[in-house]
Amino acid sequence: MSQATPTGVPRWLRSIIVLALIYLFLVGVSSLESGIKVMGADTQERLFSSVSNPIAGLFVGLLGTVLVQSSSASTSVIVGLVASGALGFDQAVPMIMGANLGTTVTNTLVSLGHVRQSNEFRRALAAATVHDFFNLMAVAVLLPVELITGRLSWLATQTADLLVGSGGSEWKSPVKAWVKHPVGWLKDGLGGLGLADNGLGIAMVAVGLCVVIAALIAITKNMKTLIAARLERSMNRVLARGGGVVAILVGVMVTIAVQSSSITTSILIPMSAAGVISLRNAYPVTLGANVGTTITALLAALASSGSDALTIALVHTWFNVIGIAMLFGIPFLRPLPIRAAETLASIAVQRRSVAFGWTLSVFIIIPLLGIAVFR
Amino acid sequence: MPLSFLKRAESPFERISHETIAMLGDARHSFDLASAVLLAGADASAIGADIRATDERINATEQRLRSELVVHVSVRGGEDIGLVLGYTLLLKKIERIGDQAKNILDLAEEGISLAGADDVADFNARRQEISQMYVEAADVLATGDAERAAAFLARTREMNADCERRLHGYMQSDEPGHWAVPRAILHRYWKRIVANLAGIVTSAIEPIQSLDYLDAGRTDIDD
Repeated sequence: MSQATPTGVPRWLRSIIVLALIYLFLVGVSSLESGIKVMGADTQERLFSSVSNPIAGLFVGLLGTVLVQSSSASTSVIVGLVASGALGFDQAVPMIMGANLGTTVTNTLVSLGHVRQSNEFRRALAAATVHDFFNLMAVAVLLPVELITGRLSWLATQTADLLVGSGGSEWKSPVKAWVKHPVGWLKDGLGGLGLADNGLGIAMVAVGLCVVIAALIAITKNMKTLIAARLERSMNRVLARGGGVVAILVGVMVTIAVQSSSITTSILIPMSAAGVISLRNAYPVTLGANVGTTITALLAALASSGSDALTIALVHTWFNVIGIAMLFGIPFLRPLPIRAAETLASIAVQRRSVAFGWTLSVFIIIPLLGIAVFR
Repeated sequence: MPLSFLKRAESPFERISHETIAMLGDARHSFDLASAVLLAGADASAIGADIRATDERINATEQRLRSELVVHVSVRGGEDIGLVLGYTLLLKKIERIGDQAKNILDLAEEGISLAGADDVADFNARRQEISQMYVEAADVLATGDAERAAAFLARTREMNADCERRLHGYMQSDEPGHWAVPRAILHRYWKRIVANLAGIVTSAIEPIQSLDYLDAGRTDIDD
């Protein structure tokens, strides 16, 4: 049987392209931060006053992630905003949690593609919504704990201090210096077009947003091609060895490599639909994907000023690690997301509208209502 | 183990191809053992366990490789869909010829033995020829050599036409049933094995839509 046709771009060239895209991504984050700083303090306050309520912040993070279909992009933007000082650290924490919730929409949408085959649909929807339920449960426990005690922020601050010293805002990222010139050229170029103050700031933020999202999409696409064989081998090992810690680590590694938890979790959906991987084995892979995706915000923090950017990125990591330790590590809690997903899938197989209603309400209607009520 | 993610991976189809060739080796092993019981009077109870263990190994490999093909499609989308469907059919054919070796053993376990029969030398010659066909099919699968595949397929057609002729001869024979029936059944099994080997070789050279069909789609060669 003839072998698969290799794609046209050689591996070495694709690797160089990925490195260039990572650089472009860092330039985008830095441009975003610089753009916000160019705006006046009044404008900054007007922009972000609506998320001073933590519930509204949670829903803004959720909805923003649903819109760009990437928590990597939305958390990188949040990191940039925190670095610029426009978004307070306390406001950003619920937004990060919301971004974590919003990222699960992609595999839920993928599972809806199996709606015509009952058995496939049941398995696919359960595999997708187990991620939704895990994130919902993690937020339900950790957001109130954070609001009351601030322990998650404390943990992230301690970790940031360990990594960069306790100098706080004195910390200067070496990566920041590498991206300084392109951001300066962008600022000069836009200034040359006659833009100034808020207009210049808005233009820099818009360019930064576009660059961050486009670079992440291109990184993901190229990395998926580069590591496809490794990705397949890892998934086959999960099938051979079953779930557990190994599956979590595979989820982490694959997601770090492709820079997208949506890719990792969406790959699981057709495998689950076909019955190749069980829900119990797919579940830990999605948990690993949750942790792996936090690497992008950490990367974005490298291109940002001050230790707050790094700390908020670490909040994202710790939120997921603690969520796993709690909901997967405690034996009697472990089956809860699985049971919830199986129950929802069983109901949705009887009434397909439940699946569509779930997706619409969790990812669109409730966040919109939440923002309207709590802003 | 998760750190093995960082190691360079062999192309998935190279590995699946190696494993399907190994499955053919296992299927040949079962065929030779089952034939030894029926044609040379080897001990069925001792050899039967080996044949059944080999069959379980073939089945387990087929299931695992089918899962891996689903993983491949999940990761890469439809870019290799022709290969994936081709391998799915191929694996099923190898699994079938594994079962057909077990059918020959079943015949022996029914108490039939052709060891010492007048025509056993003829049967042994055919058995050796079919056993060699497993090796040739594996070679064609590994190399994708179209000329060798065509020569192989011509031989399978001749072999099956001869098996068919003999099968009809036994069915219309005046000899008693205990003489004619085992010979007819054995030729039927051989015909099925050779047809599946032909199907395996066809999968190496033909596009997916024309696998198992000859004569512009009129004749199904899978048996």
